[in-house]
Amino acid sequence: MQRGMKNTEKSSLRYIPNTKEQQEEMLKEIGVPSFGHLLNSIPVGIRLKSDLKIPDKISEQELFEKIHKISQKNLNFIDFKPLIGAGSYRHYIPEVVRTVVSYSEFYTAYTPYQPEISQGTLQTMFEVQTHLTRLTGMDVVMPSIYDGASATAESVLMALRINNKKKVLLSSLLHPHYKETVKTYTKSHWIEIIEMPQKEGSIETEELKKLIDSDTACVVVQNPNFFGGIENIELISNIAHENGAIVILIVIESLSLALLKSCKKTGADIVAGETQSLGMDLNFGGPYNGFIASKENYIRQIPGRIAGETTDVEGNRAFVMALRAREQDIRREKATSNLCSNHALNLFAINAYISLLGKEGLYRLAVLNTKSAHYLRSKLIETGKFYGDDYPFFNEFVLRTKDDPKLIREKLFKAGFLPPLKVSDFFPALENNLLFAVTETLSKEDLDKVVDIIRSL
Amino acid sequence: MKLIYEKSIKGRIGFSMPEDRFEDINVKDCIPEYALSKEKKELPEVSEVDVVRHFTTLSKINYGVDTGFYPLGSCTMKYNPKINEKLANLEGFTFAHPLADIKHFQGSLELMYELEQLLKEITGMDRFTLAPGAGAHGELVGVLIMGKYFEDSGKPRHKMIVPDSAHGTNPASSAMAGFKVVEVKSNERGTVDIEHLKSLMDEDTAGIMLTNPNTVGLFETDITEITKIVHGKGGLLYYDGANLNALLGIVRPGDTGFDIVHLNLHKTFSTPHGGGGPGAGVVGVKNHLIEFLPSPIVCKCDDFYSLEYPKKSIGRIRAFFCNFSVLVKAYAWILSMGKDGLKEAARVSIINANYVLSKLKPYYRPAYDRFCMHECILTGRDYKEYGIKTLDIAKRLMDYGFHPPTIYFPHFEPYAHETIMVEPTESESKETIDEFINAMIKISKEAIENPELLKSAPHSTPIRRADETKATREPILKFEEK
Repeated sequence: MQRGMKNTEKSSLRYIPNTKEQQEEMLKEIGVPSFGHLLNSIPVGIRLKSDLKIPDKISEQELFEKIHKISQKNLNFIDFKPLIGAGSYRHYIPEVVRTVVSYSEFYTAYTPYQPEISQGTLQTMFEVQTHLTRLTGMDVVMPSIYDGASATAESVLMALRINNKKKVLLSSLLHPHYKETVKTYTKSHWIEIIEMPQKEGSIETEELKKLIDSDTACVVVQNPNFFGGIENIELISNIAHENGAIVILIVIESLSLALLKSCKKTGADIVAGETQSLGMDLNFGGPYNGFIASKENYIRQIPGRIAGETTDVEGNRAFVMALRAREQDIRREKATSNLCSNHALNLFAINAYISLLGKEGLYRLAVLNTKSAHYLRSKLIETGKFYGDDYPFFNEFVLRTKDDPKLIREKLFKAGFLPPLKVSDFFPALENNLLFAVTETLSKEDLDKVVDIIRSL
Repeated sequence: MKLIYEKSIKGRIGFSMPEDRFEDINVKDCIPEYALSKEKKELPEVSEVDVVRHFTTLSKINYGVDTGFYPLGSCTMKYNPKINEKLANLEGFTFAHPLADIKHFQGSLELMYELEQLLKEITGMDRFTLAPGAGAHGELVGVLIMGKYFEDSGKPRHKMIVPDSAHGTNPASSAMAGFKVVEVKSNERGTVDIEHLKSLMDEDTAGIMLTNPNTVGLFETDITEITKIVHGKGGLLYYDGANLNALLGIVRPGDTGFDIVHLNLHKTFSTPHGGGGPGAGVVGVKNHLIEFLPSPIVCKCDDFYSLEYPKKSIGRIRAFFCNFSVLVKAYAWILSMGKDGLKEAARVSIINANYVLSKLKPYYRPAYDRFCMHECILTGRDYKEYGIKTLDIAKRLMDYGFHPPTIYFPHFEPYAHETIMVEPTESESKETIDEFINAMIKISKEAIENPELLKSAPHSTPIRRADETKATREPILKFEEK
């Protein structure tokens, strides 16, 4: 290639409209002889002496081929029916949800600092706040933070701010990643974190009574828990409240909210969780969307962005960011959190998903998940190859086997199933336990096929 | 515009579900009475077409980069390439379960590993965590690493220096990690006051969080001196990467003495801002801090990618691994730009910002009358005498079809107040920038000749000026049927 041609090639980048000629013209208007003049404040000694050692640009076609090829080095997950959940649940996502999140007026916007031209984002925040208050029964909702684990950690910090106590009781059946995140976030608070033991898939309330005292800030319980089990939250709440502790309920399989009793009625003071189930892809673990809901009286201790209803100068309804005085850009080190953004785009997914399914659809889907999971569990027990604790559950359950769990997982995989999680990955003492998740993505035939595979072991 | 609840008609649905073929199973036998809701949750009932129209209408009252010029300073609202959206949505990626067997997601790990190699080279750092979901999340990781580093050395430190010009997240993140925040002043040139820094830096101070170019759009010329002062007392330097766009291919923070760097992939690396997120606030460190990185990090051994748990890790900061789809887009952008393209992005962003500055400085007195880097800080202070607030100028800009710049940030006396922070980015053409400049000049005249026009602006937007105070004084945070 000729030298001159290469230079022309270099200057034409499809994402940068200004041509070299225009750049020169602008430099002239600025009043400098060359671009280098604008860099005068950068000492020469610290500037790069040579080009970055990264490849030359590639074309859109080459880019597509390259990344497509990388994506194909993953298992072709779409062809496998998932029997694994554990905090990341595959549900069918209606095409409308994908269409909505692809509207570029949504995804190319930023934080709605200017409400007059950001009503789309703000109204969606407000609508999702409404959906989540109705699903949880709580009074107020902060609809979006990075994920359920960070929401959990922030809700523990919130409890510590509210009552200034020093002990946190975590359910041993809280998702292990969430437990670790809470520990990281609270490290500088010098608090004592104690795990409440579980027995047969539920928190042992007698043990809770022994562990809790008047210095306990909060009791953190996941429901349905990591084993899919449904806890008796009212019982736990009563014990916590007798000791002046705040009850934080963690919901990760948020579809369960359509079926389960209002969190507020069961005694929760704060609900934190993950909404991936409501319209988000698995995406190798993110981006998902966390939320925090609470009772009215904690409203000024909630971190993160909240939309509120107001009026414009003509008296029309308008939505804006509310209660901003909690936030870091105003309060700096005295803010409720350092949060400066949220996962707003995922709120469009949740909003579209919940709107499409609605009151009846979400309920029926939760019912279908419950029934499918219970069908599989009872059929697996019937094979005689599995046994387990008989605790109430939603769409996930743990079973033990006398056979080799590795072999079981391999056989299921070969038959086109993404095998259930080995519980021992997180609970080393629980060998030979598998955590099955069953969503509507598995048909009755699929479930019967699973049972046949197990039976023929 | 009606809420989705106000469009609800009993009996409508927008979803078709597989048939329930488990008729002999009763939910009441599955879930105990104490846990089961007696009633269905009151959600809207609408059809599919209702939903599509609802969101299409909402999209029409939202402004994004694809709508027009979005010079929101400090946020680097550059163009978000369409191909990157497609690549992030490849089914091989989107259906990947994070707890599947590691051999099944080698592609995802390869992409993370390759992205890390590029980021290392661009910044001059030795290792990255890709876990943080946003810049502030990355900051928290960074300051926790600083805390752990000193704790591990046996001499914990308790203070963190943050410039008065810093983003609010810097002091807020430091406070979350348990540090006492100490503010260092800016000098009359808009950069860190070196003498003040010297007087603050001691052996109980973990270090400094610095943005460079800083939030007034200026390069910290004394960076080498700052490094000497902080390292001289055993402290660490944290680089807030919000403004890295200006330095691509020109300066690497790692070469100027920074020990920790966070990058906002949704700013410099073109991934969309999503109305607030998701983004990614990846964090790079030098060798001496790798063992403190949050777990897990990706490593490669004999062409097999695996996850590693650094032995003195600060721990997890989220579930699973990262905001994966955001990483795909950043990776795609770097490959599309190539090494020359990155440098060109920095160059054009600097030219564009200085062009705005030179054209507008007669009308909006700049905080500092110097050449800037990728963004310029003008002010609206001279219009106060006409009863005009900077907010009014911003609101009026919407009538001309532009998203307003960042206003009232940075804020510190006596130099930076009533600020208007303009960041054009490299994505904008001279023609667009000229239109913006002309609008700003017109507004400056309106401010004097017809101030009411500004005070009552905007006039042509979907809603008129909204009462934000009311939303805080009497919060209405959810819809309730009347």
